[in-house]
Amino acid sequence: MFKIILLKEMRETIGSAKFVFSFSVCTVLILLAFYVGARNYQVNRAQYEASVRENLRQMEGLTDWGQVESQIFLPPTPLAALISGLSNDVGRSIKVEAVGELISENSRYGEDPIYAVFRFLDLEFVFQVVLSLFAILLAYNAVNGEKEQGTLKLTFANAVPKDRYILAKLSGVFASVVVPMLLPILIGCGILVIMDIPMNGSEWLRLAMIVVAGLLFFMVFLNLSIFVSAKTERSSYSFLILLIAWIFFVLIVPRTSILLAGRAIDVPSIDEIHAQKFRNQSQLWTEDMQKIDAFVPPSNDPEKAFAAFNTFMNTTRETRETKIAEFNQRLNEDRNNRQAVQREWAFGIARFSPATSLSLAVMSLAGTSHAIAQQFLDQARSYQQSFAQFIKSKNNGETGGHMVRVKIGGAPQEKAKPINPYEIPAFHFQSMSVGEYITPALTDIGLLIGFNLMFFAGAVWAFSKFDVR
Amino acid sequence: MTPMLEAKNLTKRYEDQTLALDRVSFSVLPGQIYAMLGGNGAGKTTTINIFLNFINPTDGEALVDGIVTHLQPLAAKTKIAFVSENVMLYPNFTAIENLEYFTKLAGKRYVKKDLESVLSRVGLQKEAFDRKLKGFSKGMRQKCGIAIAILKDAPAIILDEPTSGLDPKAGFEFMKLLMELREEQKAILMSTHDIFRAKENSDVVGIMNQGQLVMQRTQKELEGEDLEKLYVQFMAGYMEPVSA
Amino acid sequence: MLWTIVEKEFKFILTSPKFFATFLVCSMLILLSFFVGIQEYRATVAQFETGQTMNQQSLRERTTWSGATNRIYRQPDPLQIIVLGVNYDVGRFSPINVWMPVKLLESAYSQELIYAVFRLLDFNFIVVVVLSLFAILFTYDAINGERESGTLKLTLANAVPKSTLIVAKLIGSWIGLVVPLLIPLLLGALLLMVYQIPLSTDHWIRLLCLLGLAILYFTFFMTLGLLVSSLTQRSVTSFMVLLVSWIILTLIVPRAAIMIAGQIVQVPSAAEIDSQIDGYSKSEWEKYRDGIQKTWERRNNELEQVPEKEREVYREQKLWSWLEEDDAARKTMQEGVARYSKQVKEDMENRKLQQVKTGFVLSRFSPASAFQLAAMNLAETDIFIKKRYEQALNDYHVVYSDFIQKKSKEGGGEGLRITVDSEKGFNVQIPDMKKTIRADEIPQFQHPKRNTGDVIADLMMDAALLVVFSGMVLVGVLTAFLRYDVR
Repeated sequence: MFKIILLKEMRETIGSAKFVFSFSVCTVLILLAFYVGARNYQVNRAQYEASVRENLRQMEGLTDWGQVESQIFLPPTPLAALISGLSNDVGRSIKVEAVGELISENSRYGEDPIYAVFRFLDLEFVFQVVLSLFAILLAYNAVNGEKEQGTLKLTFANAVPKDRYILAKLSGVFASVVVPMLLPILIGCGILVIMDIPMNGSEWLRLAMIVVAGLLFFMVFLNLSIFVSAKTERSSYSFLILLIAWIFFVLIVPRTSILLAGRAIDVPSIDEIHAQKFRNQSQLWTEDMQKIDAFVPPSNDPEKAFAAFNTFMNTTRETRETKIAEFNQRLNEDRNNRQAVQREWAFGIARFSPATSLSLAVMSLAGTSHAIAQQFLDQARSYQQSFAQFIKSKNNGETGGHMVRVKIGGAPQEKAKPINPYEIPAFHFQSMSVGEYITPALTDIGLLIGFNLMFFAGAVWAFSKFDVR
Repeated sequence: MTPMLEAKNLTKRYEDQTLALDRVSFSVLPGQIYAMLGGNGAGKTTTINIFLNFINPTDGEALVDGIVTHLQPLAAKTKIAFVSENVMLYPNFTAIENLEYFTKLAGKRYVKKDLESVLSRVGLQKEAFDRKLKGFSKGMRQKCGIAIAILKDAPAIILDEPTSGLDPKAGFEFMKLLMELREEQKAILMSTHDIFRAKENSDVVGIMNQGQLVMQRTQKELEGEDLEKLYVQFMAGYMEPVSA
Repeated sequence: MLWTIVEKEFKFILTSPKFFATFLVCSMLILLSFFVGIQEYRATVAQFETGQTMNQQSLRERTTWSGATNRIYRQPDPLQIIVLGVNYDVGRFSPINVWMPVKLLESAYSQELIYAVFRLLDFNFIVVVVLSLFAILFTYDAINGERESGTLKLTLANAVPKSTLIVAKLIGSWIGLVVPLLIPLLLGALLLMVYQIPLSTDHWIRLLCLLGLAILYFTFFMTLGLLVSSLTQRSVTSFMVLLVSWIILTLIVPRAAIMIAGQIVQVPSAAEIDSQIDGYSKSEWEKYRDGIQKTWERRNNELEQVPEKEREVYREQKLWSWLEEDDAARKTMQEGVARYSKQVKEDMENRKLQQVKTGFVLSRFSPASAFQLAAMNLAETDIFIKKRYEQALNDYHVVYSDFIQKKSKEGGGEGLRITVDSEKGFNVQIPDMKKTIRADEIPQFQHPKRNTGDVIADLMMDAALLVVFSGMVLVGVLTAFLRYDVR
């Protein structure tokens, strides 16, 4: 019995015009997303490499290690090209000096607002907006449509148990809709391979999980559609209801809840933080000025006096910088903590919509969630330390500073030797372990499964009460 | 008397080359009911569609009060009232609202009382006047349809299987109304499957088969004949020459 | 006749469940967008004000003019409530000082990533995505739906010209969608007043223009609905076709166009440009320092020529002019760097402009982009806001640098001067820490604002485009419906 209905359901779905229609549109879009992602990755990679090269090249000919500041860059990843997430909103480069606060700048959208206007056509967009709409289109009349046709009556004139029927129906729709979607996705993966996009094992696994999350989300809307279809008498009503539900779930709820909940939680503005940092800095500077003013050299021999002064200045400076760094760190941490609370609330509320769960899950998996900004900054900080060490080793134990030394008289100086910028330790952005990407996504994948179960149970329940007449 | 409705050699060949109408000619005089019999696909509805200019004839012409329908469709349509097989009206309008709209389209202006009196005349219960059409049975909708036709007050009325699916009482009442309209000198063209009523109430009966008018007899000529037998006979392929 | 049908259409729509749903959803969303927009605007204003206050404070606490860094924040405009555009994507401020080129930094989204996840919800978004969908919902079954329900036959059995019917249908459903749009919009306008959003007459004029554009925009989708409805026999089919067209027009074409433009015209990344400028600047500094070293060696030699006794006096006499010479040399060098930086940036900007233009031309194949671009223009939250600000900031940079140079001559320098002299011994000079500068003397920055006339003139292209789109579709509708099989 089950099999008969299942097969009929599959035949009916696959043979329908709307299936052919939506399947071909999806195929085109998915392939486009993969292709565009791969192209974007190549372009970004080339730009990244050019930037790194240019950064070193511009230091050629410098003679003073104390003047060296290096720029480090966030490398593009293939998954970020498929799920752009926040990767275009975070600053992609950081200027590193031996000391001083690190600030990431040059976000893609900030530099090229043209891309910000319409954003990118990525896999997340295809899953979230297009596939969900097609799920509705494919299943909005699953139950009440058969009633309108009159075939439901005919079916139940036979000894068909209702629960068996709805189960067969659901599995039929899933099997005939979800399985074909895998085809363009597999071809898409093929595109990645053909275009020589370097993907490691972790990235393939995460891509697979992204696809799973996308299909789970697709199924949420299938289940929802069947539920609504079993709950309403006429298919035109169920379609209207589902369309509105779609607008809310996909377009409205995530945006609104984040905008409203986010603003409701007080996070100190970045300007206040800046101002506090600045005030602290200038206060310390003023204090140090007094100390410098009070400096008395141990001897009057110019060379020795200067050497002593230099040492004194270096110590003062380092103490000051440490104090500044500690203070800044405290402020940053405080703001980060508040932002974490804000995120928790806003995302928590936004998760009423499965679209939010999908976004958050795939962003975590692709490594393009909010975590990437912090990760980049943290790694830049530890790089800064090795950079400082390096500079010190090159610069007589000094971290450098903006001092201009003019020596009058005495022995003529020999011409300074140019530095070799390629000695500077390179910055390697360390991606996290697979587990670290997957763990934060698990909640949201769980939620997606939950949504599925909820709407599925709803569909079974609604159908058990459905008036087949 | 000049015929109000007239088909002259009506021929319709569809794009897929099927011949839907093959040189059909007949005429309906004012005060006459013409009943078209024939199986599904015989060409009855095609004939009606040409009269209403829903489609153009491939050859020949349909005339309404001397006006060629496919040349001056709008002028012709002012002279026809139409009742379809399954009268469909706007479901979220009331009966009165529907009547109001369609009579306005017909170029008439009625006050509500007139509309109500016609609805009473066609036998719709008073309670239904201000109800939305959504819950109406087929019979009730047919009544609204004939009311619209009456209110249009056109000299010709075309009905496409108006009584199919009605219960016997409703069908009887419907035919009674048609007789009344005949008294008002309307020319009535009606396609039907109802052999009994065709013989009983119409002035001329035509039988169509495969796009051809295979038989046409006046009531007088049919007297004493078994129309049902004739029908089966003609549908089987027998044919007699028909002149308009 | 026409008005009979229009009246019926309007009444029919008014009593249909889809109108009810549309009205409810539209009202909710529009009001929500206004509310959210107002909250966002106030948050932006608050940030702007804090930023400015903090900047003023830091400046007031300064003791010397040289090295003073001013921060210019982009001024929020209340029209961002309606069209947020790229407002949050573009840097919020630029530091202004003598030694650095202007650069807009720290966009709102990059600093508060949480808002970047799902981005904005403004009236513009509601119009582009939701209203267009509803426009389709209104007309997708206008013709074939009536055919399916059988009323089309009954209607056309009367002496109703088909063209009248179709025009009446368009007008009827048009009014049916304008009403659900206008009521919440009026309430939204009220909301703006209640929250005392400072809107000038110019703003109101722009809002009216925007409303006109929005109406043109969804008129296009209504005519498109009619077209597909009169080209297909079944309303299910027409809806599917329309839904796919909607996805393509509102969601795919704009994105794809920009990406294709990005492929056609390639632009080096900002980081690449920055490195290039930095490199040049550093090498110039190095040259300058070498030069100074040599100059002082020369001057020292000069001193050697002077008898030992007069040496000190001579030195005292010369010192000031020497320092001025050094300063002039530095200034020339810095100007050179600024010129270079400007040149490189201009090159990049030109490439970018090319890219943008290509992208916009391609994306305007979709009325959704035409509308959105026009709307952003109106609200001045378009992508050129960055360019406009950078230009204004560059102009200001010149004024500011001159001002600082003048002021620093009057006062002392900021840095330490340490001299170690074999005769006078070790000497440290620190700047005077007591006297703070008068920050209110700093020249004012003029925020770039476009003239409403110019903005509206720019708008005409997109408005015309929308009219042409709708007109073309309307012609299609008329031809399609005249040939429509009403059976």
